Amino acid sequence: MATDRTAEVTWHGSLMEGSGTIDRVGSGAFAPLDVTWASRAEDPSGRTSPEELIAAAHAACYSMALSHGLAQDGTPPDELRTSATVTFVPGTGITKVALTVRARVPGLDESAFSAKAEAAKSGCPVSKALASVPEITLDAALV
Amino acid sequence: MPRIVREADVVWEGNIARGSGRISAVTSRAFTDLAYSLPARIGAAEGKTSPEELLAAAHGGCFAMSLAGELAGAGTPAERLDVRCTITMDEVEGRGHLIVDSALVARAVAPGADQEGFAKAVTAADEGCPLTTLIKASATVTVDARLKEE
Repeated sequence: MATDRTAEVTWHGSLMEGSGTIDRVGSGAFAPLDVTWASRAEDPSGRTSPEELIAAAHAACYSMALSHGLAQDGTPPDELRTSATVTFVPGTGITKVALTVRARVPGLDESAFSAKAEAAKSGCPVSKALASVPEITLDAALV
Repeated sequence: MPRIVREADVVWEGNIARGSGRISAVTSRAFTDLAYSLPARIGAAEGKTSPEELLAAAHGGCFAMSLAGELAGAGTPAERLDVRCTITMDEVEGRGHLIVDSALVARAVAPGADQEGFAKAVTAADEGCPLTTLIKASATVTVDARLKEE
């Protein structure tokens, strides 16, 4: 069954001098969030940006996929700590996503974990949607 | 051009079916500890966000900025743009869950813009938004953009 998720954005003015707001998301979990070009491309000053939201989407998707892969083998994680860092070069596009995960997984050795961590990187829906990013890296380790 | 880096992090506890996670914006701190879970991701959201909703916010924000840039570049800056983005995830046979579509709906108040100039700006915004380019590689992106009367 298909799942739809929606967000609404308002923008006023030009790109450089104007400003926008992510007014509403379907779940109501966050918003309003302000966005501007200056905070996207220079100092964020407390404002999010499309690239930070992509980082959040990817880290969240990856964590869920990895927990699924680990649980399938009978070793669900106690805790996964994942970060995603998105690099954006204006005029070129999104050039890199760097994923880092630190996992507490009782009963699992490093090599089995590493295979699961790689599989989650290629399998999660956001990874597939971002597959044309030139470089997606993964630094995965048990703690 | 400078490289712009933005980071977010997630803490996940437990298995996929009953576990849950928290999502935070590390760079800006604009949001912290947003809860998410599998049931809320694929069923009723019940107040929880999801990777696909965050992607909808990213794509809506990206397209709005691109269109604002194109309209300003054409000498008809937007007084107001309303953009809605809907991301659809579906289970595709043999390939698991995939993001299959991103639908953008934009309504613009841009004094001085005519239909032809607006259509050109929309096409350029579609080509210029980096997130559109990425999503188009594996899914469909549709744009329904219209000028509104002031």
